[in-house]
Amino acid sequence: MTTIPLFHVLILSSLLFLIGFVGVVARKNTLFMLMSLEVMLNAVGVAFIGAGSVWQQADGQVMFVLILTLAAAEVAVGLALLIRMQNKYRSLDIDLLNQMKG
Amino acid sequence: MSIASSSQPLLTMTMAAAILPQLIIAFGITLALLLVAWKRSQRTIALFTFFILLMALLANISLLSQPVIQVTQLLKVDGYATFAFNLILIAALSVLRMSHCFLKTSLEVHDEYYLLLLLLVLGAGVLVVSDHFASLFLGFELLSISLVGLVGYHRGNQYSVESGFKYLILSATASSFMLLGIAFIYSVVGDMSFNARLSSELFEQGLGLFFQLGLLLFVSGIAFKLSIAPFHFWTPDVYQGAPTSVTFLMATISKIAMFVVLLKCIIAQRYLLLESFQTFLISFAVTSMLLGNIMALKQQNLKRLLAYSSIAHMGYLLIVIIVTSEQSLEFTWQSSLFYLAAYTVANLSIFLVISLIQQHNIRSGNQEDITLLDLKGLFWRAPSYGFLMILGVLSLAGIPLTMGFIGKFYILSQATIANAWWLISILIIGSGIGLAYYLPIIFKVFSNVVITSPEDKKIKSHFIEQTLIYSLITLGLILGILPDMVNQLIRS
Repeated sequence: MTTIPLFHVLILSSLLFLIGFVGVVARKNTLFMLMSLEVMLNAVGVAFIGAGSVWQQADGQVMFVLILTLAAAEVAVGLALLIRMQNKYRSLDIDLLNQMKG
Repeated sequence: MSIASSSQPLLTMTMAAAILPQLIIAFGITLALLLVAWKRSQRTIALFTFFILLMALLANISLLSQPVIQVTQLLKVDGYATFAFNLILIAALSVLRMSHCFLKTSLEVHDEYYLLLLLLVLGAGVLVVSDHFASLFLGFELLSISLVGLVGYHRGNQYSVESGFKYLILSATASSFMLLGIAFIYSVVGDMSFNARLSSELFEQGLGLFFQLGLLLFVSGIAFKLSIAPFHFWTPDVYQGAPTSVTFLMATISKIAMFVVLLKCIIAQRYLLLESFQTFLISFAVTSMLLGNIMALKQQNLKRLLAYSSIAHMGYLLIVIIVTSEQSLEFTWQSSLFYLAAYTVANLSIFLVISLIQQHNIRSGNQEDITLLDLKGLFWRAPSYGFLMILGVLSLAGIPLTMGFIGKFYILSQATIANAWWLISILIIGSGIGLAYYLPIIFKVFSNVVITSPEDKKIKSHFIEQTLIYSLITLGLILGILPDMVNQLIRS
């Protein structure tokens, strides 16, 4: 079995992370922004698991489990805010959130 | 996270005693959940939270003179961490009183607010003692997610959804940046504890780039939380939109914890030996100092002004990290903790006054935003408020005989030892610009006011608030004149 070099894993996770980040920056719909955040977190998970398997330690996978927990908690808070936004503005467009200026 | 030899228990009694404050808070959170199920009452939960925080504070004070204890691989309790946690607990205790005002106004029972507050303190407590990237991550997320909940907490406020969402999206992005950084560092180093050493052969395999990238990502994640320019864009909006007590939490607890962990991590890993890393930190510090101060100049909203001033203050603090060297570690810790203490006391004074004015405004049916105009003639309407405000502002500006001055003096003397003249000159320019927006606040507080209605004239306040105000005034005065008291605490 050929092993995948760490370098490739890191490149893959960076690309995934970048896709997620572009999603957060470019999307107008807040629901999609939250989804892009998940993509970013999972990209980090890929990097951790790759690194953990290279070093033959459980640390990478432990971190991945922690990241999954974080993602769930973050989305729980995010969706709660999303529902309130929907109630208040009847829309999920991020551009509506621009009342504060100065 | 490999388990040590099996003959030894993972957590001995001495270790458990060392993290007792954190344990008390964690246990308190569980009890609070049960309490909510048993009886929902605003008064009960507030008293309960107060009791838990007080217990943790007492436990923590008793730890002050203990030697350094490594609690498993994840945590390390030392005097600096204990001192920082003391500051955090004191800030949390005073926030209880501050938020009492705005929670009282509605009929709802705000259990969640107190739970989130406890979770936030737990997160900060884990952060300051963490000695491993995993515990850093856990503390970081506990702190930021509960803070998101708190920022968007006040449903009635017109800005709550906006500021909550901004904070959520940006803080989640920042934490994923930080995590990717940790992943990169781990993939190169192979160990996630703070005092892991780099092996030089890995550098030659072309992974050096990933290590540097990881370092940059990690620091930018934390810099976001510290609202260091260029990661500061969320700060003014979130400061303005959050309830005043939460803004205070963000300005103090979150910043103290983040800064302490950053300092701990950087010192342990000796990242500063890397030339490129130094350059990043210097550019961060310079931009924060200049940008924070210049942007604050044109602010009319008091909370936005404080947001920009906090950016500048974090810039000043970064200097301490930049100029630190192997020989002056002790001094570095002392000056940064002193500065953080001064910053906390000053912010506490200002935010206490802001929240009391806000409460008064709401009662008389005015809008919730506090602008500089609201401060007009404050000294004549309520002398103790005015005095406290002036004391806080002077301390932030760094006028002699206040704690802020001594804090800045420490930073300056440390920078002179390291011959960082560039940074010193920027610091002085920054503080000079700072006076241009701090002094107008004081002028406003003293300015004459035409009293139109008896409503305007008196600001009533509760007995507890009066005590809090007077004790803060004495604290500010005493510590400004005798700064050695704090120093001895840090040193012990």
